[in-house]
Amino acid sequence: MAERAAGTDADSASGSRARFGDRDVGTLATYLAGALFWGWIFLRWLNDWSGGVFVPARQAFVPPSLFRGVAAGVPVVGGAFEALAFAFEYAPALVNALWLTVVLTVVSIALGFVIAVPLAASRVYGRVSAWVSVAYIELLRGTPLLAQLFVLYYGFPWLTRFFRGLPGVGQGVLPGQAVFVAVIGFTLNSAAYQAEYIRGAIESVAPGQLVAARSVGLSRVEGVRFVVLPQALRYAIPGWTNELVYLVKYSSLAAFITVPELFRAAQNIASSNYRYTSMFVLAAVLYLGVVVTATNLMEYVGRRVAVPGISGGEGR
Amino acid sequence: MSSESPSDPPLLRVEDLYKRYGDEEVLNGVSFDMDAQDVQVLVGPSGSGKSTLLRCVNRLTEFEGGRIALDGTPTDEMDENDLRRQVGMVFQDFNLFAHLTAKRNVMLGLRRVRGHSKEEAEARALEELEQVGLGDQADSYPAELSGGQQQRVGIARALAMDPKLMLFDEPTSALDPELIGEVLGVMRDLADQGMTMLCVTHEMGFARQVATDIMFLEGGHLVEHGPPEQLFENPRHERTAQFLDRLTSLHGGDHG
Repeated sequence: MAERAAGTDADSASGSRARFGDRDVGTLATYLAGALFWGWIFLRWLNDWSGGVFVPARQAFVPPSLFRGVAAGVPVVGGAFEALAFAFEYAPALVNALWLTVVLTVVSIALGFVIAVPLAASRVYGRVSAWVSVAYIELLRGTPLLAQLFVLYYGFPWLTRFFRGLPGVGQGVLPGQAVFVAVIGFTLNSAAYQAEYIRGAIESVAPGQLVAARSVGLSRVEGVRFVVLPQALRYAIPGWTNELVYLVKYSSLAAFITVPELFRAAQNIASSNYRYTSMFVLAAVLYLGVVVTATNLMEYVGRRVAVPGISGGEGR
Repeated sequence: MSSESPSDPPLLRVEDLYKRYGDEEVLNGVSFDMDAQDVQVLVGPSGSGKSTLLRCVNRLTEFEGGRIALDGTPTDEMDENDLRRQVGMVFQDFNLFAHLTAKRNVMLGLRRVRGHSKEEAEARALEELEQVGLGDQADSYPAELSGGQQQRVGIARALAMDPKLMLFDEPTSALDPELIGEVLGVMRDLADQGMTMLCVTHEMGFARQVATDIMFLEGGHLVEHGPPEQLFENPRHERTAQFLDRLTSLHGGDHG
């Protein structure tokens, strides 16, 4: 059996090396596309925040009039250049709004994770706390996210007032109070979903391992912390990536409580230029870029933490 | 109690142990003593309470009646984590921590329970793995090891805590026949070095050669308890004879 295990090991190693050549091209292309996409976005943020170091704030790096000139002169493919001109004209404003989408997603998923881990653990291992966890999770998963945001924003006006009263909110780099309320809403909601993914992962760790941890003298909490969770979180990566990708797109619901994120920005511009379809397609391209990045990033994380026998992030 | 036993108390004293799951009585007044360096083998039909008895000793399972004392101290007066540090346990399904290498499996308890530094723990872990013949597999993950190797890591993990007593819960039952010998060999070495061991096993070759005593448990009662020669040659109960005969024909092979 030892030989057999060693044999498969060598096989898979040489197999992955052979594939590496092929994958290298694809991986390189992905990295290049990612670098271009995010390089452009970061340059735009830098430009607009600093009041325009490269070009005036919210103006394209390449003037759209350049494409318009071509579009007018070329008969057949002129339409494509017209579309490019449109994209270059409005993308800067959308990228500016994309900042809030990224902030909403990253902060909410991270804070939600901090809540989700104890929530999941207490659902599996707790007694009274298990019921509290179940109640919380079912309440948050069983009601619409938009309704939750409305309750926080319109139902608790003191919450909005509190954030507005904090120094610096809505000025400079700090976003307005509605963003804080949205982060709370997304965090509480995402924690419930993340907890369920993590609970499933906890339950897939063989229970004998916790018994073994206890038999060595570790407490229950230590056993969960050092034996169960390191494995469960690896198992949870694929499901958790799902939640991350959802949250990127669900952050658009913040538009309904006045947060000027990507979706709302696209809608605002469209209501003045009446090109709704084009604006939403442009916004969709940006969402897609973020989602693909998130997926690739989590696959990378899964590969980095993979352990023989426990394949986080693989098989997706 | 000191008036009854002027000498040292037994390493392990199990007194009138009762345990039930719901309506089912699993242990019905089991009593026995173990001295240091004893190797006691516990046999009995499945469901006779052997595993439950082991788990009562390190309090992985609580019991309804009776007393268990380790080195004269009642276990219910001890901190349960401290008790378990002093009583090593080896499982049928190995139960290695799947995300940790062999070395780190052994190191976890050393670091978190015994408070060793990383360097101390690592040195000790390598020593224990060497002892079970796996010094060269220290950086392998459980999934990369054979069943016999995994079980030996499990033994090293328990030994690293410097236990006074080792509990073996059918350590070879999940192994392919050709891998049983390497695990029994390690257990034999341990016995030779004077480790006190309480083993649930069907390996009659091991029981005959290594055990100081064999206990036959059936229906939650300790039917018979004595040295291997007595139980194999002159059992007092017909049931003991029948059971040992059948076990010997099934598991009498001399693996180690």
